[in-house]
Amino acid sequence: MDHHTLRELGQQLRVDSVRIADTAGSGHPTSSMSAADLMAMLVANHLRYDFAHPDDPNNDELIFSKGHASPLLYALYKAVGAVAEDELDTYRQLGSRLEGHPTPRLPWVAVATGSLGQGLLPYGIGFALAGKRLDRLDYRTWVLCGDSEMAEGSMWEAFEHAAFEGLDHLTAIIDVNRLGQTCETMHGWDLDAYADRARAIGWHAITIDGHDVAAIDEAYREAAATSGQPTVIVARTVKGNGVSQVANRNGFHGKPLPDAEAAIAELGGPRNLAVQVRSPDSDAKPHRFPSGEVALPRWEVGTQEATRTAYGEALAALGTGRGDVVVLDGEVSNSTKSEAFAEVHPERYFEMFIAERR
Amino acid sequence: MIAGAVGMAKRGWTVYASTFAAFHARSYDFVRMAAISRANVRLCGSHAGVEIGEDGPSQMGLEDLALYRAVHGSTVLYPCDANQTAALVAAMADLDGISYIRTTRGNTPVINDADEQFPVGGSKVLRSSSDDVITVVAAGVTVHEVLAAADQLADDGINVRVVDAYSVKPVDVDTLRTVARETRGMVTVEDHRPQGGLGEAVMAALADTKARPRIVQCAVREMPGSATPAEQVHAQGLDAEGVVAAVRRLL
Repeated sequence: MDHHTLRELGQQLRVDSVRIADTAGSGHPTSSMSAADLMAMLVANHLRYDFAHPDDPNNDELIFSKGHASPLLYALYKAVGAVAEDELDTYRQLGSRLEGHPTPRLPWVAVATGSLGQGLLPYGIGFALAGKRLDRLDYRTWVLCGDSEMAEGSMWEAFEHAAFEGLDHLTAIIDVNRLGQTCETMHGWDLDAYADRARAIGWHAITIDGHDVAAIDEAYREAAATSGQPTVIVARTVKGNGVSQVANRNGFHGKPLPDAEAAIAELGGPRNLAVQVRSPDSDAKPHRFPSGEVALPRWEVGTQEATRTAYGEALAALGTGRGDVVVLDGEVSNSTKSEAFAEVHPERYFEMFIAERR
Repeated sequence: MIAGAVGMAKRGWTVYASTFAAFHARSYDFVRMAAISRANVRLCGSHAGVEIGEDGPSQMGLEDLALYRAVHGSTVLYPCDANQTAALVAAMADLDGISYIRTTRGNTPVINDADEQFPVGGSKVLRSSSDDVITVVAAGVTVHEVLAAADQLADDGINVRVVDAYSVKPVDVDTLRTVARETRGMVTVEDHRPQGGLGEAVMAALADTKARPRIVQCAVREMPGSATPAEQVHAQGLDAEGVVAAVRRLL
């Protein structure tokens, strides 16, 4: 999609975000508007995803870590033809699968988000690690993060782990719209505050204007071309971008716009651009490890053993019998005894270090 | 660790993740969200309870059963010996949702045969006779203390029924209601805080029954310090002596 049309798509996503929050009477349109151009470019020109086959193992993963930007996500689903126009009107209603924060009731949502500090890196790491070491497929994991949630420690735990594992198929996009729920973030629009930290940890970091479609396009290209390390795109954006009654103004988080009709007019009115998302280039099958018989360990009645030892030995036996079994541990595997699995199946064992969350 | 496990689970892998039972409290929000994500994740908490001994309370998982019981659609397992553990670890592979298994640091006697089945949602009656007066329900490390208590009581002519409730959630409601009918009172024994663990699972199972028995709950009520495992278990009234005293309160 050319850059002019992409600007129009960005406006369409804003209009739809404003509209569905207005219909619902609640929601987070301003948080959606800041990231509209970032997501328009991603979905139209960079994402590889077959919306008709969400289970295709070669699909990229797109995670909205800032789950409150659900109006934007659902506006995207309309643009790609996954959700019909009239379903958007059910947003936040009883029985609707368009919940206030996205959940896997929607087939294109892999993980529920809305508890900040989880989507980006924590979940992203699981997907990216699986892609690299288990599935051994080429899919990419894209995670849209809010700037406020960068205050969560779990994000930085995940930054460290992604760099340690060299997860170059993982791209984080930070929507730096400066404003949180009640006040400005600690770093405001200081993009380097985020980029410098990420670089220090071992990430490739790019700072851009998050409303400049050419810059966004180039940043995604650079992220995809970067090998050996994950990329973070730190994008300066305006919360409520495109609508003067809310743009860059505090106090409009998590509520419909005061005058939705005027806002839609200012955005140039409704549009109906359809995006053809590129399907995965590959039809490769995920790697599978061999399976055989499960022969569980046995103990004689009357002997003594710790149940933690039995856990580890049973896991090791289960892993021999079932190639789908993988094991993680928080760097206490010689205590939990999951080390017994690690010794026999090192390729399916993941050391997560002392970071229980991510 | 939890979020990484969820990501891999969502890619179709059968994921197990383990750390100390105590440290599962730190990742609880991720578990809560994993349930909303409809993720199938198998978790293990080792070093459960005061039984760990000298390391003291910062290392003791004393709230984990309550945490995991509260998760929507979860399964909570607490085996008492090695063979039971192996069977339950294997069963977890085919469970949906969040499942949690609690393991013990120290050695425990193997009392179950390796070929025995331990269905999720089941329990095992370890002692039973027609003249049992009290039922004692235990799980994990306390099972062995309860068996010792049952021997001591039998020496005094008091027969107690002993139930190993290795499936804390879903708990074996049918068996619990049967033993509640057939004996005069119940004692629950758990190496966990009194809130939200085995004792309250048993009470919830019996709350809406006509002949609700009196129930004495043995649990970790004091703040532990450093001590040997045997001293810790004794100090909280979870050893055979404490169980005998609890049974006698009901006679």
